Amino acid sequence: MTPAPRLALSGMNRGILHCASMLAPREQRADWLREWSAELWHMRRSCLPPGGFSWRFEGSVAAFCLGAFQDAFCIRQLCRQESQAGSSQHGSARECLLWMGGLLVVSYILACILPGVSLESHPSHYQLNPGLVLLQSELFTDSSAATIHGQQFLDLKASRQSGIDGLAFYRLAKEAVSTGHDAKPKWRVAHASLSLFALLGTSVSLSGALNEPAGGLPAVVLSDDLWKREFSGNPKVIGSVVRVGQSAAKVLGVLPRGSWRLPGRADAWLLQPDTEIPRGAVGYVVAHLTRFGQSEIYDDRVHINGFVPDDPEEDLWGVSFGERTRGPWTIFRFAIFLAFLALPAITSVSLGESCFSSHRPSLVKNLYRWIFLGAKIALLLSIAYFASLDLSYWNATGYSELSEYAQLATSFFICLFGMRWILLDQRERCPVCLRRVSHPAQVGQASRTFLAWNGTELICTSGHTLLHVPGLPTSWFETQRWMYLDTSWKFLFAGTGVG
Amino acid sequence: MVSEAKLSHTAAIILQAISSGCVYGFSIMEMTGLPSGTVYPAMRRLERDELISSRWERQPLADAQQRPARKYYKLTSQGRTTLEASRKRYPLLERMIPSEEARSL
Repeated sequence: MTPAPRLALSGMNRGILHCASMLAPREQRADWLREWSAELWHMRRSCLPPGGFSWRFEGSVAAFCLGAFQDAFCIRQLCRQESQAGSSQHGSARECLLWMGGLLVVSYILACILPGVSLESHPSHYQLNPGLVLLQSELFTDSSAATIHGQQFLDLKASRQSGIDGLAFYRLAKEAVSTGHDAKPKWRVAHASLSLFALLGTSVSLSGALNEPAGGLPAVVLSDDLWKREFSGNPKVIGSVVRVGQSAAKVLGVLPRGSWRLPGRADAWLLQPDTEIPRGAVGYVVAHLTRFGQSEIYDDRVHINGFVPDDPEEDLWGVSFGERTRGPWTIFRFAIFLAFLALPAITSVSLGESCFSSHRPSLVKNLYRWIFLGAKIALLLSIAYFASLDLSYWNATGYSELSEYAQLATSFFICLFGMRWILLDQRERCPVCLRRVSHPAQVGQASRTFLAWNGTELICTSGHTLLHVPGLPTSWFETQRWMYLDTSWKFLFAGTGVG
Repeated sequence: MVSEAKLSHTAAIILQAISSGCVYGFSIMEMTGLPSGTVYPAMRRLERDELISSRWERQPLADAQQRPARKYYKLTSQGRTTLEASRKRYPLLERMIPSEEARSL
């Protein structure tokens, strides 16, 4: 035989080894190939027949090389088993808490970043003076509707009600505004009493006193949104003169974002003396109640007699601003209450504690189990709070009933279905190691439910317990049961990296 | 640690071969008559179970003899204990592959 075919066979053998090496894990491939190449070299050297070539020898060399495939495959399997054993956190209590903690961190960071959420979650930004009410005609039920005429406000002010020590009026109108440029944008302007902001107790970034005419000109307060949108947040605009409708006004300040919680959305507030209120204009009246007046509030409302003694149509309701300034925490607490109330309707609240024998986990294990459940609930509630804020107020600029309903709905559903998941998850966790039981196996036949055990059997991968879940609850097997495995089961779990 | 009961006859033969002085894969094949597709995977498992350990021959030594360096295997103390137990379980093991001590006698 010429050296050429021998070289070809040698090349083929090396090719077989290289192909087999592709099966080996990448990080071990070079070492593996080095060992097999060395073994091949020594095999050829030690078994080479005296003549230098024989088909039988080449056949045995090829068979030797083909064995490399089995070896490479074996190494691959061992690596996989090792990585599975290494990832024994899978299904563990720590993994569950880490996931929930991660979700909480994400939702908290979003709550800090989103401007609407950070505004809403700090009620101190929009707190009003205590004892404030919005006066409304008794004929209207919508608390956000303008119901008081200018004349009615002036009469009320003149009547000196005993329970009221402060009144302010405002009405909304669209006005063309000239800021010195050619374009005359239309703003939603609130024509308000001079005492409005003092009555509300809302802080305004000011360049002068609000209740004094600025150099004979009425004062105008800009909303934060408008200031940023129209004036790019330029502080020099404060003190400048703009023309609102027919009259000139001096910009006196900017109202901080989100601090306007009263009905009606305004871009600017034009502060005018009450004498300039049109008699027929319809608007809103804010009143401050005396201590006596506040004691009359019942269910966030107080009845105020009209100035015409025998005309019930002139009677008013004073509606508290508590609803508009309560902040998201109150809504969230109500959502939790509703969710816990609704929970038994969608899942059993049992934790599936029953077991086949009298064996029970130790007190410490039981304590860990309860601490784990408590930690999950605490994390869920925190996630629900921040996630509902993120979803409902991500772009809120002020009070919005829609956002409040959205927060109520989202926090309710997150709490409800989150609690359902927590209970289901807890029921499937081994009482000993808190790892989720796995490898479900169907046992028995549904047609023989009443004759023999029929259901699903799950096992703790650490070898502590078996969980039996009945396929159809019967009087003798109503709920799931745990079976604690004794030491005779240990050999089954030897070498799995767990246990 | 793997239990002694899990050691198969093939694994016991390979352990015995290593104990008898066959310190690399091909020599174990020659001693036991087992194919490469059986010997090498079995050695991987024995190494994983810490019954044997491996080390690479020093390269200068191999270079001096103009051959590639080989990977050598030897029994661990745990492997020796397991082999002792396997010898009781498989009494013919020592007759098939006499250990170094037995051969020297």
